[in-house]
Amino acid sequence: MRISKITATTVTTAALALGLAACGGSEPAKPSEAPQAGGSSAAATPAGKQFAGKELTLWRLGDVNPAAKKYTDALTAAYTEQSGATVKVEWIPWPQVNDKFTAAAAGGAGPDVTEIGNDQVPLWQSQEALEPVTDIVSAGDQAQIPKNLMGLETIDGETYAVPWGGGSRAVLYRTDWFKELNLEVPKTWDELLAAAKKIQEAKGKDVDGFAFNGGSDANHLLGALAWTGGGEYAVKEGDNWVSKVTEPAFKAGFEQYTNLVTSGISSKSRLNQNTTDIRTRFANSKVGMYLTASWDIPGIEQDSKGKIKKDKLAFFPLPAKDGGEAASFFGGNDIAVWGNAKDKDLAKDFVKFATTKEWADRYALEGGLLPVYSDTLAKLAEDPDQAPFAKAFAKAKAFPADPNWTEANETKAVMQNAARQVIEGKATVDEALAAAKKEIETILNQS
Amino acid sequence: MTDTSTLARGGGRHSSSPGRGSNRRRPARAKGLPNWAVPYVLLIPGLLVIIGLLVYPLIQMAIMSFQKVGVAQVAGKKPATWVGVDNYTSIFESEIFWTALRNTVVFAAIAVPLTLILGTAVGVLLQKLGRKMSLVLIVGLMFAWAVPPVAQGAIWRWLADGERGIINWALNLLPDWLSNLLFGRSDWTGEPWLNDAWSIYMILILCVVWAGIPFVAVSVLAGLKGIPSELYEAARVDGSGAWRTFWKITFPLLKPVFAVLTVLSIIWDFKVFGQLVVLGGQTNREAFNLSMYAVAEAFKAPPKMGSGAAIAVVLTILLLIVTAAYIRQLFKQEEL
Repeated sequence: MRISKITATTVTTAALALGLAACGGSEPAKPSEAPQAGGSSAAATPAGKQFAGKELTLWRLGDVNPAAKKYTDALTAAYTEQSGATVKVEWIPWPQVNDKFTAAAAGGAGPDVTEIGNDQVPLWQSQEALEPVTDIVSAGDQAQIPKNLMGLETIDGETYAVPWGGGSRAVLYRTDWFKELNLEVPKTWDELLAAAKKIQEAKGKDVDGFAFNGGSDANHLLGALAWTGGGEYAVKEGDNWVSKVTEPAFKAGFEQYTNLVTSGISSKSRLNQNTTDIRTRFANSKVGMYLTASWDIPGIEQDSKGKIKKDKLAFFPLPAKDGGEAASFFGGNDIAVWGNAKDKDLAKDFVKFATTKEWADRYALEGGLLPVYSDTLAKLAEDPDQAPFAKAFAKAKAFPADPNWTEANETKAVMQNAARQVIEGKATVDEALAAAKKEIETILNQS
Repeated sequence: MTDTSTLARGGGRHSSSPGRGSNRRRPARAKGLPNWAVPYVLLIPGLLVIIGLLVYPLIQMAIMSFQKVGVAQVAGKKPATWVGVDNYTSIFESEIFWTALRNTVVFAAIAVPLTLILGTAVGVLLQKLGRKMSLVLIVGLMFAWAVPPVAQGAIWRWLADGERGIINWALNLLPDWLSNLLFGRSDWTGEPWLNDAWSIYMILILCVVWAGIPFVAVSVLAGLKGIPSELYEAARVDGSGAWRTFWKITFPLLKPVFAVLTVLSIIWDFKVFGQLVVLGGQTNREAFNLSMYAVAEAFKAPPKMGSGAAIAVVLTILLLIVTAAYIRQLFKQEEL
């Protein structure tokens, strides 16, 4: 337990790691402790438990923040208590996840159990990096998780990951700035733009009123805008994907998206920023509003050194052009057994434990996600703080469920590139979207 | 391989010699290798390292460029399948490949001459300077030289930052009339230097040339120290100016130095990577060069190591052609 805490922190900073590892090293030397091998079993492990003395590596995704760390510590401690196995936790920042998975799948050091974004499951399943967990979701607590949450996870009748928490997006804003500037929560897209302009006028030219996301997760923002009017990235017709980005509904959303920069609401010098970059700038009071979820709050409190606390932050649903809520990206985090797990029984047992109602609910509620168990979700929707997400969840949509989507989404950054061309005036919206359509189809239809 | 067998034979003879050595009565040297074999045996360790670390991976890369290789194949879960020239056709059809090729070639064509010209100028200056000033200059050069590529990128990225960068700050300091006259604008606040491919490469050229100058300058200085000072005295007596002296004495005598420096610079500038990653080339595919494109294909999800290898093969061939053509040109001139 102590050790897993230590391991978690080592990932954050090397410097810190040195100091803490030194503490950890001294730990097993205590005379009262039995001279057990390694020191990995600092938490006393009474014999007789099923996995006594074994070790499991868990990859948690995202930044280490106090809330996530507290939950992970509690979970791993409880698991050690029950099974006797120790859990080693490693934290992987979101923008690095696919690179780390690539290295691990090719034979590098990898996890036994990993958290995974639901839209990443088709890709890593196709790379044979995930172990089926169909038996877990068809029995016990897990059988209560609605099957419609497993659309991306179920491939050819097998389920490859267990939903752990749902995530829809809403707009995060500074309540103190809104109060100071007498701003109302925007109900339409135009009101949002007007509020963003006002924030910029008051807070300085280098503040983004509403931050443009053009980085690795740009499609969370673009998708929300494009889906709202009925646009689609691509639709499967027969055996082939046909991209719909040139259709008027998508085009309208795309223009809203690029307009954030061309109108000056978000600076042209940060076309490549992703949600993590935006969050850092938000914590430094350089962003008025941006699209994200409540898991960003602990990171903001930390990055702003406590200056921006939870009470200055609130969410509202992203408004559609003519009022009402915009569509949202159907995000969610799953937990999966990695294909190269050393001990698959142990890994499966851990996944089963972590996704029981008790621990999955705690994962979602403490981490700022939406619970996957429907009765807990229904209860949550009554909470005014969480209502924007529950509302958005009802309108959530997913990206094309194809293993090659990641290539279009991140590696080739097709839509980000189209947006940059339009913003810099190198192509008209129609030209850029026509090129993007062709490229999305080539990527999604490759074998 | 033949070399290893030479070693084995040599070794064998060595061990068996005590038996026969007595009746042959040959000098002590004969116990070792025959004269002609010595250089080859001495080359073996080096050759083994080169074969193991360079030739073998090169051959693997060439083979992979004709195969479909993904994560499953690398992990050994599936055999690699032959796809013929599919990897090559798919990269040649990709628009990204052609912009990457253009970026690579144009960048090298500008950065190599700039590095050499400025580096030589600094080298000549170093020789002309007095002891103290040249020491100060050398220490400064060493600092620039010692900066690792990623740190170089980070430094220039910060200099060129839209809002906090010194470049925009300095441009804003220019009197408005001068700025308007030169660039047609006076306000540079927030000018994003690292958005567009061309401006990313402009910064990259500054960065790579800046970091490349010290090596060229120091090498030129070393060459200059080897030129007898009588030649310069004679030139001065004959009334030759600095420019003429450089082209008639310094340049011809330093030609071998320049040949090496040029080839090295070409190689380095063709495969520049770290600086470009940091300067934002990774998130802007229009600013990819061939190395970056190869890495993106081969290692970004979903990994396509076959196409990545194909790009690397193209880059290698291109580099070989350029270097070979240059060296040939050089030797031709020498013969004349």
